[in-house]
Amino acid sequence: MEYVSPEGLRLDGRRPMEMRQLRAEIGTVAKANGSAVFEMGNTKVIAAVYGPREVQNRSQQINDQALVRCEYSMANFSTGDRMRKPKGDRRSTEISLVIRQTMEACILTHLMPRSQIDIFVQVLQADGGTRSACINAATLALADAGIPMRDIVTSCSAGYLNSTPLLDLNYIEDSAGGPDVTVGILPKLDKVTLLQMDAKLPVDIFENVMGLAIEGCKAIANYIREVLLENTKQLEYRRGL
Amino acid sequence: MRGLQLPLSQTQRIRLQRALEKLQSLSCKANSDASVTVADTIPVNYEDAFLKGHGTTDLNGDLVATVCGVVERINKLVYVRALRARYKPEVGDIVVGRVVEVSQKRWRLEINFSLDAILMLSSMNMPDGIQRRRTALDELNMRGIFEENDVVCAEVRNFQHDGSLQLQARSQKYGKLEKGQLLIVDPYLVKKSKQHFHHLEQFGIDLILGRNGFIWVGEHVEARDSMVVDQANSSEQSMVPEEKSQTHTPLEMRQNICRISNAVRVLSALGFSIDSDLILETVELSSTVKIDIHDMLGSEFHVLVAEREAERRSLMGKRKR
Amino acid sequence: MVGLSVGEKHFIQGGIAQDLRSDGRKRLTYRPIYVETGVIPQAHGSARVRLGATDVIASVKAELGKPSALQPDKGKIAIYVDCSPTAAPMFEGRGGEELSTELSVALQRCLLGGKSGAGAGIDPTSLVVVEGKVCWDLYIDGLVISSDGNLLDALAAAIKAALSNTGIPKVDVAAETTSDEQPEVNISDEEFLQFDTSGIPVIVTLTKVGRHYIVDATSEEESQMSSAVSISVNRKGHICGLTKRGGVGLDPSIILDMISVAKHVSEQLINKLDSEIAAAEASEEES
Repeated sequence: MEYVSPEGLRLDGRRPMEMRQLRAEIGTVAKANGSAVFEMGNTKVIAAVYGPREVQNRSQQINDQALVRCEYSMANFSTGDRMRKPKGDRRSTEISLVIRQTMEACILTHLMPRSQIDIFVQVLQADGGTRSACINAATLALADAGIPMRDIVTSCSAGYLNSTPLLDLNYIEDSAGGPDVTVGILPKLDKVTLLQMDAKLPVDIFENVMGLAIEGCKAIANYIREVLLENTKQLEYRRGL
Repeated sequence: MRGLQLPLSQTQRIRLQRALEKLQSLSCKANSDASVTVADTIPVNYEDAFLKGHGTTDLNGDLVATVCGVVERINKLVYVRALRARYKPEVGDIVVGRVVEVSQKRWRLEINFSLDAILMLSSMNMPDGIQRRRTALDELNMRGIFEENDVVCAEVRNFQHDGSLQLQARSQKYGKLEKGQLLIVDPYLVKKSKQHFHHLEQFGIDLILGRNGFIWVGEHVEARDSMVVDQANSSEQSMVPEEKSQTHTPLEMRQNICRISNAVRVLSALGFSIDSDLILETVELSSTVKIDIHDMLGSEFHVLVAEREAERRSLMGKRKR
Repeated sequence: MVGLSVGEKHFIQGGIAQDLRSDGRKRLTYRPIYVETGVIPQAHGSARVRLGATDVIASVKAELGKPSALQPDKGKIAIYVDCSPTAAPMFEGRGGEELSTELSVALQRCLLGGKSGAGAGIDPTSLVVVEGKVCWDLYIDGLVISSDGNLLDALAAAIKAALSNTGIPKVDVAAETTSDEQPEVNISDEEFLQFDTSGIPVIVTLTKVGRHYIVDATSEEESQMSSAVSISVNRKGHICGLTKRGGVGLDPSIILDMISVAKHVSEQLINKLDSEIAAAEASEEES
């Protein structure tokens, strides 16, 4: 099947290095301490953060840092074919772990000892790149909750089909069987916190694809930073003196 | 707009937009320039000695923000004031909390902080008013003073070495709060002021603005000296709950309580800082416009409050000049 | 759910007795309802309903399937509800399962009628394509994003809105088929059949606190309830389903009174909901 036409257009009309449309909204769940909705094309994800608050389970309390917990769940209607089990299956557990480790690396946990931070991510629509959208939404929600972080984390995926590196794969391109590289970076510190790949790639092409994904992450970081700055300014001028 | 999921008609949307734009133009320009997000560099003159405050960290010699907020500089201290965050306690703050647990010689209160706060039995005035050592009998009777889920007003006493918070409730005006409702808003909307207890005489209502974002609106209760008298009638007290159910809050006072609560809800939804003058003005506005108490939470009133606030701030700005 | 002190509980009960609740509503007033349709473009129909701080999403997906042997002339409808942990930390893991099951069963009872499919609010005969061989399976999924009481009413409203937004693709059946073969069906991408939702009922939950009942309870008021009765009423004023929750026993005359109150309230609710759905669809078409 042809994923990249001879003119250089993908199945949804994008160019190979073009990302899908991004949209972010802060503060959707009023009851949570921080929340955000993040959309990458058709992939739509809600993240909610509760905390820092007192640890509910005394045995899990850590004396010198905060405990970070995360749960990833997909809605029944999020994928094309209905899913039977929204949570508890192995993929969800793995992604919960991945998100938790990534966010834990950037939160300054030593500032909030013996407390607990809960991150809940809910996928409303899945069209490829759910892992990345979840991490981006979680970053926004944590910033909204005022939790101190070393840097924001952004994530993006890239692949290699028809001998072309492609940025931000959607579901059809993802299930084509080609390689899928997901990268998460700390843009200011210029460090990679998450790197996952499946299928196989020669090393030099891998460097290309990873570089492309990192470019994508940086673009997302700029967008997220704009959204947060706008939100902060709005809150400040509304509050008044 | 956080929580402002209101169905606005086209005209209402335009009016609200205009009012918010006016507020934006009135806001301190320096402040909006000083807004930062996570990992933004803070412009500092590195030759001057400066102190790194909250919300900042050192990154390769640069000063970088760790939260989204506004940079404040006071003398040599540079820090980032986070807007939406958990409560940041300071010694001497008045807070309102809810009892989560009753344990040995102490109560644990939830106060919108990263940890629960502790109120020691020894930091509490005894019902009989006598200053004495707390005996084992006092410990067993702790539930007689406060039990789980009670709403309590207290003051921040100090921080423990491990970061947890200690409260005290020694004065008469602190203690259990009943006959009213508790509202929760974001802590950054309640600013530190001289007065946090407000007795609104014209309504006969107590308004307590806890610095942690818990706001109590309730019937006015005379200074807690009643506790001293109650000890003598303590045996009757235990039987009174039955009869208490007969004495409900009178309707007019309830209407006032609801009006004030709704005013607080509207102000918090619009993101305006909350103080007692503003609340009273909002309540007056609702009476002049003759709006139903429930309709105060509707779109029209929100737009009116936004417009009125824009006017008020522009007047204040002119007065300053 | 946050606990309430004795003083606060007393205050709430007093308010309900005096017909002035904590946010100024009367006993039988609903909070403002806000409807958005088409929030999940991948589904055949979807809607999001906000009732105060309660926020729910409903989505409708249709798949081709085989009708059951017992009812060859009817399609199949299934309703599932999931409580997302974003609504409350206690819904994490399996914490929300009990509530989800309770809501799913209550919705099924109110909207789908009896085992034989008789008396359903949603008519399954309109879902059949080829009798006995091919029918549409309708999967209605509800997701609770934020919870502040009265989830059942909000979910029923969302389902009604989602069904108004649903377009079932038109199916062309290949003409020559023998009686045992599966007929070939061509699913059209262009044409859609809109669902007729005038017959779909709404659910009105009456919560009894003390001697009075209130409509649209917030989660604080719900914690005070002695019992609650959820009644689903359709436009004609017919009762399509009834569920009682809560342990306290109710006098039968009170239940009959509650039913008549529910009928009265449902008229306004149905009108309000229909106008909101129409407004939402209109604004969806504009965008």
